[in-house]
Amino acid sequence: MKSAEVQEHEQGWDFERAAMPYVDSLYNTAYRMTRNSEDAEDLVQETYLKAYKYYDKFEEGTNFKAWLFKIMKNTFINNYRKKKLTPHKIDFSEIEESYERVIQKNAPDLIRDPESEIFQDMMDADVKRALDSLPHDYKMVVLLADIEGFSYKEIAEILDCPVGTVMSRLYRGRKMLERTLLDYARKYGYIRGEAEPAKMRSRKDETKGRKKKDDAKPEEGEAVEPDDNEEEVLFAGADDEEFEFEVEDEEDEQFEIE
Amino acid sequence: MLCDDVRRVVYFFLDGSMGDRKQSEFRSHLDDCPDCETRTAAHRRLREFIRKRLSPIGAPEHLKIRLSASLHVSAE
Ligand SMILES: [Zn+2]
Repeated sequence: MKSAEVQEHEQGWDFERAAMPYVDSLYNTAYRMTRNSEDAEDLVQETYLKAYKYYDKFEEGTNFKAWLFKIMKNTFINNYRKKKLTPHKIDFSEIEESYERVIQKNAPDLIRDPESEIFQDMMDADVKRALDSLPHDYKMVVLLADIEGFSYKEIAEILDCPVGTVMSRLYRGRKMLERTLLDYARKYGYIRGEAEPAKMRSRKDETKGRKKKDDAKPEEGEAVEPDDNEEEVLFAGADDEEFEFEVEDEEDEQFEIE
Repeated sequence: MLCDDVRRVVYFFLDGSMGDRKQSEFRSHLDDCPDCETRTAAHRRLREFIRKRLSPIGAPEHLKIRLSASLHVSAE
């Protein structure tokens, strides 16, 4: 029989072997969540210490990576999120309508050019800024799905919400992100905006015109949340047996405002 | 599937997360509807671009060392 100390020591190695392979993923998400390296490091460290402490509660055979992410998400909420966030409301249907017009107009250009010339000048910083402009809950699902490659079910588990909510946030989050990027592309002059006939202007007029346009836009990086009174049945098809995931009852905290 | 349905589920099509039947209904709509085909391709392109540009930032070495050390301290 091993002493408790030896056992604990072995558990330390065991945990490290299991958990360290995910450190890059966790850090990446932590960095995107906290937006700075210092907080990201602290968040990851706290996540690891908590996960180690509760390691015996982890159920063999379930998804360890998702379990770690869930601990990190909870830690983040406890430590960082309480403080701030007075979200502004946005009307998603308005965003969607204008996005529809922009994509409709530009889709042919977007696919014609094989090297994505449209985006060549777009900087990583622009993309990061676009991501940061998403409301936190939407940013999370986009990160978890598109960067970390989690399934809808795993995301639902990490975020403690129904699969239908994940899908709806993913749908909206991706749309908002794409719209912001197309907006930047328009600013850089690669694509056409909505109802903006190209015309000759004097330089002076152009500066004026541009300034006005920018003023009308919502602040970059501003936390916005979709309107909570929308009750669109976005994914009526989601409970169809043809979808490979299950959709639990909509508790419809879907568009809740914190 | 109608154009509206296609637009509503386009991301899930791209995720490959719809069942086989829905997935093939979607595809056959694209065969008949150049407009939706173009838009789907545009979404695919945008998504590839986003993924490429948001490539993961790895954890710094000093964090890995710190983590490893703190795990063994708490194990002793
Ligand atoms: Zn169509």
